[in-house]
Amino acid sequence: MDKLLLKLVGLLNPLLEKTGVDVMQLHEILRIKLLIDNRRPKAVFTSRKAKSGKVQSSFLANFLIVVMGCVMGALLFISNKPLVGQTLYFSIFMVMMALTLISDFTSVLIDTRDQFIIAPRPVNDRTVAMARFLHITLYITRIALYQGLPGILLIAFIDGLPAIPLFFLQVIEATLLSVLLVNLVYFILIKLVSPQKFKDIINYIQITFSITIFAIYYLVPRLINISTIKNVDVLSHKWTCLLPPVWIASLNEAIFHAGRINFTVIALAVIGLIFPITGIWFVAKVLAPGFNRKLAIVSTADGDSGVTNKTYKTDFRDKLANLVAPDAIENAGFKITWKLAARTREFKMKVFPAFAYVPIYFLYFAFNGKGETIADKYERMQHNTTYIFLIYLTTFVLSSILQNVSQSAKYKSAWVYYTLPIDQPGKILAGMYKAIIVIYFLPYCLIISMAMLFIWGPSTINDVILAFTVSTIYGMLMALFMVKGLPFSKPIMVKAGGGKMIISFVILGLVAALGFGHVFIAKWENVVWLLIIPMLLINWIMFNQYKKQTWDAIELADVD
Amino acid sequence: MNDQPIIQIKNLSKFYDSKQVLKNLSIDIFPGQVIGYIGPNGAGKSTTVKILTGLIPEFTGEVIVDGMNLAENPQEIKKLIGYVPENAEIYDVLTPMEYLDFIGKLYGMQEPVLSERVVKLVTAFGLGANINDRMDTFSKGMKQKVLLIAGIINNPKILILDEPLSGLDANAVILVKELITRLSKEGKTIFYCSHMMDVVEKVSDRILLINKGEIIADGTFESLKQNYSDTLEQIFSKLTGREESGVETDAIINAFE
Repeated sequence: MDKLLLKLVGLLNPLLEKTGVDVMQLHEILRIKLLIDNRRPKAVFTSRKAKSGKVQSSFLANFLIVVMGCVMGALLFISNKPLVGQTLYFSIFMVMMALTLISDFTSVLIDTRDQFIIAPRPVNDRTVAMARFLHITLYITRIALYQGLPGILLIAFIDGLPAIPLFFLQVIEATLLSVLLVNLVYFILIKLVSPQKFKDIINYIQITFSITIFAIYYLVPRLINISTIKNVDVLSHKWTCLLPPVWIASLNEAIFHAGRINFTVIALAVIGLIFPITGIWFVAKVLAPGFNRKLAIVSTADGDSGVTNKTYKTDFRDKLANLVAPDAIENAGFKITWKLAARTREFKMKVFPAFAYVPIYFLYFAFNGKGETIADKYERMQHNTTYIFLIYLTTFVLSSILQNVSQSAKYKSAWVYYTLPIDQPGKILAGMYKAIIVIYFLPYCLIISMAMLFIWGPSTINDVILAFTVSTIYGMLMALFMVKGLPFSKPIMVKAGGGKMIISFVILGLVAALGFGHVFIAKWENVVWLLIIPMLLINWIMFNQYKKQTWDAIELADVD
Repeated sequence: MNDQPIIQIKNLSKFYDSKQVLKNLSIDIFPGQVIGYIGPNGAGKSTTVKILTGLIPEFTGEVIVDGMNLAENPQEIKKLIGYVPENAEIYDVLTPMEYLDFIGKLYGMQEPVLSERVVKLVTAFGLGANINDRMDTFSKGMKQKVLLIAGIINNPKILILDEPLSGLDANAVILVKELITRLSKEGKTIFYCSHMMDVVEKVSDRILLINKGEIIADGTFESLKQNYSDTLEQIFSKLTGREESGVETDAIINAFE
């Protein structure tokens, strides 16, 4: 595949040579970049699942993309109304493309090492810029082809064989538009904010993206009926004309469904063809020059020579830390967990979406059921005990934090724990657990409870407290049996081993049983109040147990 | 020694925003010289190196290398220079063979000369057995050796080394030191940046000390010794205005009370 792509690029050589690009160097840079890509695990499909070996078979990743393409392709069959199916298809297509680009853009396509490896060699700027542009294009074309392939074949069943070449063109259009949009966002961001902020913002965009996709996947089918989608008139709203997928869909519409088109459709189709070309010209001419220079600053790190004297302000969380973790070692564990968690990108990337998943899951289950309007479902929900279910869902957040808190890409910095005279490492774990509960879990539960009080009224308070204590028991059990690593001290792991999986299921089962017990007794308000006391007691006993962990129980990672 | 300087730096200045990091630097460097370039952190050392290697294209003043102006002819000048960067960036998913092949081709070198040279150099540096292993498993010293090879692969006239010994074991350090002497005898010019005063003292035949963007000492180790102090370390600390010996350590010791 790579060799083929490189050969295709080779066809452009005479043209490139005229613009001052050194073709041989270009070929070498592209070849080595593609080689590096192949040896690197792909981010989009593998991040949550197997991050196993260093050698991620790219075959599997590509296969998953094709499967995804098939699922999307099914949308194309919604074709009785103009534009609908294709607009949906290309919307998802473009979102997937943009997502891939964003998650890979910073690390792969803007490789800061280039600044020290390629820049000192006799390679001119134009060659480097062209190599970067072609690298992005090749990278994304590869994915676009896999993702678009099913669609290219399926379209033949809908609009006949002649639709295939046109669809191919549409796929290219969608790819170019995605590259363009992501580029625009990056260019604008890097011009406006500092390099450090830039990376953070990209991180938050990624988090928002994964939440949005999750929400769409679970909620849209619940809230909107498929049959209504089928009959949507895309062009009845003016703002739809601004959506790039509509332009792309218009192209098919204008050519294969000439019977039902109007002037707008033709205009949109033309815009769709012109926009990517002018856009890329605009990026290359207007935005790109400053971009490379900015990037050089990011990577050479000379840009931040203006050192500002920041004095550290203690905020309320420092006071909180001193209050709940007065013991010095515990206090250290508390603060290191809170600060590293707040500043480690990959931790945030994995954990923050969980905060949003809980309400989404809840809505998904609450609005499950057919034949009712949303108002009916809401009415029904208000009069049963589903709220208990909601509080127990928050354990999802807790387990997500606990699973990730001892892992870090920079786990080697944890050597410091092993060289210090800490005789009771359980205290660090205790501080860590307190930080998780106090900084993350408790505030989150408070917000959820407020939402609950708003919907179900004040009689739910005792349930909230009981559920919270049971949830912390769950957290405690998880911590006791699963989290034996000091905060951020282990390499990012593949998956829990077989034994751990079983333990985690057992714990989950136990808490589920407690949860159902809670639903069962929920009608006796006083019993609920009373039960809070033994639950707190169990928490306290287990916590003291956790605190007593010795070095024998702690899982150490190799630090060399 | 040749009369014509191979590197001429005239009135070189560089600003970051409003901060001036290089103040009208003027240096002539002659072929075959081993320049020991030393200075405290933030003195402008790495900025000078980055300008010489073409990493920072914007500066005021003039840099002439082998008769060519750096501002006008950066690509031709880069062909003459070998560079071993300080921060040891490398594409570590590649093997030494693949990486060095890539670097060689960027210099426009052709097969089979290139691959023969790569094999010879890698073997000479003692990495022959690892030539087809991916570098992500390499130790720091092994990666440093690959970087050194990448710096000399094109047989450059000028070699710019920025802390080239970091991570190397004692034997490799001896190898590199000997190599520097041999290369200088062959007429290569070496620009050696380091904080290791004892090494600089031994390998270089001319020492440049930069502080706050200005050259404050320039001469052989012998001449500096006569004018200032006995060891390069003492000369360094005297000229860069470190406080009277003992003041800082007093402050440190007092912190425990």
